Amino acid sequence: MRTSLAIIVLTLLVAVLATVPWLVSDYGLGFMINLICYVVLTVAWALFSGTTRFVSLATAAFFGLGAYTVAMLIKVMPIYATFGVALVAGTVMAFVVGLVTLRISGMFFVIFGFGLSELMRELLVWWEITQTHTMGRYVFVPFDTTLIYEHLLGLAVLVFLVGWLIRRSRLGVALLVIGDDETMARQAGINVPFAKIAMFVVSSVFMTIVGAVMAPRFGYLTPNFAFNPLISFQVVIMALLGGMQRLWGPLLGVIPLVLLSELLQVRFPFWYSVLLGLIFMVIVYFLPRGVTGLVEDIWTRLRRLRSSHSDTAMSNAWGGSSLSLPRGVAGFIEDLWLRLVRRQPTGES
Amino acid sequence: MPALLEVDGLTKSFGGLLAVSNMSLAVSPGEVLGLIGPNGSGKTTLLNLIAGTIRSDAGTIRIGGEDVTRLPNHLRVRKRVNRTFQLVRMPPNLPAIVGVMAGVMYGAEPKHYRDAEGAAAAILAELDLLPKAGYRLDQLTYIEQKRIELARALATRPQVLLLDEWLSGLSPGELEGGMAVVRRLAAQGLAVILVEHVMTAVRALCARVVVMNAGLKIAEGPPTEVLQDAEVIRAYLGDEDV
Repeated sequence: MRTSLAIIVLTLLVAVLATVPWLVSDYGLGFMINLICYVVLTVAWALFSGTTRFVSLATAAFFGLGAYTVAMLIKVMPIYATFGVALVAGTVMAFVVGLVTLRISGMFFVIFGFGLSELMRELLVWWEITQTHTMGRYVFVPFDTTLIYEHLLGLAVLVFLVGWLIRRSRLGVALLVIGDDETMARQAGINVPFAKIAMFVVSSVFMTIVGAVMAPRFGYLTPNFAFNPLISFQVVIMALLGGMQRLWGPLLGVIPLVLLSELLQVRFPFWYSVLLGLIFMVIVYFLPRGVTGLVEDIWTRLRRLRSSHSDTAMSNAWGGSSLSLPRGVAGFIEDLWLRLVRRQPTGES
Repeated sequence: MPALLEVDGLTKSFGGLLAVSNMSLAVSPGEVLGLIGPNGSGKTTLLNLIAGTIRSDAGTIRIGGEDVTRLPNHLRVRKRVNRTFQLVRMPPNLPAIVGVMAGVMYGAEPKHYRDAEGAAAAILAELDLLPKAGYRLDQLTYIEQKRIELARALATRPQVLLLDEWLSGLSPGELEGGMAVVRRLAAQGLAVILVEHVMTAVRALCARVVVMNAGLKIAEGPPTEVLQDAEVIRAYLGDEDV
């Protein structure tokens, strides 16, 4: 009952979003493209990094791979064929990177991801200067903003669907356990490298395809632009701000930050980076569990003071309320909702 | 009855230190084998080798006649061997039941996600832990943590169970309860290896013990005889546990 209602509401939402190109101005559509681009990137990032806690800065590497593959091949094959090539390239790169790096953990993995995108950028700059003598490539194809938008929307639906399915699967639980204690994960019978690589590939392929779809939007691409490390950092900050406990959590990080960047970049382009840095520092130093971890703690304490009642085991068990992935704004709203819903039937004084 | 677990000539060294040397033992279904010895004698290393937590340098490990020596940890779990750790290992940030669910889904009788929560809850209920299913590790008492970890191990449906000081640090009442659990598991046909310093438990549970010292097996037999063995007393001399 509740599920079918949710499906109807979500379908309607997607239908409304699909009509956006005919409802808003060109500027509005550009904004929506930017927004959904980051939604897909951030949700895809959280699929892997949110559960396994391997912080990946390789987003730009895969985004750039997708975008630049299209840029390099667009003159020799149709656009959907270039998407196909990007998909294969993304899969292969994610697999190889996963195989090589997922044994290393913590800071080394973070640095590797960052290094990878920088390496690819430098390699392509070198290649274009010394081998092809082109600095920058044009992507002029009959693939207009409306099409780009609809494709991104499709990817967004897909990434949510995949995420939803994975969370209700063995792999989802395996990744949560791996993120918490790898030795124990192995002792539970989980094939740790396989689970990590599988999820890394899924996550990275989404990033690659987003890059590929965005290529015609940019029209003109240089390696420096395609492999912009800011993309990687923004995605991390958006995911941390929104919270990753719920699949839709990252949305609440993406929307405010994309809005903020839109507002600031027009008149104070430099302030955006400064603010982004500040937000990142605030999250990391003071609110490691997301913006609302603090608020949550206060709530819990208040609730304990008011009633000594503890949740029944099963409702607490896997409903997720005691999971402690970074919960962000999403966690806050969820708790608020629970409070509202619970208050009415019980009528506790 | 033929042995379920057979260890033959198992050897492991860390650098120059021979932690386990030419170790052989066998455990039958329903048997609780005590594994005792002074600290640092190689008991935990031996458990690590059997469980697949670390790889051996030489020797073979068979479960039900099948050679599992070269299988990685997670595949060995599916060959029905599991363990608890001396320091409880469960996911620290997840509800206790999630670790058990992982065992249910990836163990020797893997279950689909849909059925995992029910199966995990059933295992927790057997250990009187159902009310604690939603708690994190740090919200549980020491004995509850130990039991939750056992639930995780049992979730994979092992036939060989390795308990690393699972009965240590318990109050007398808790110890009784813990021993009853071990007895029940053995009665269900599990082959249990009990690494333990609590000699009352070893005497009560084990018909046979293996004594290790400096990586070597120095004695084997019924606990009453073995504990009077001159070499065993020498190995333990100064150890307050005996």
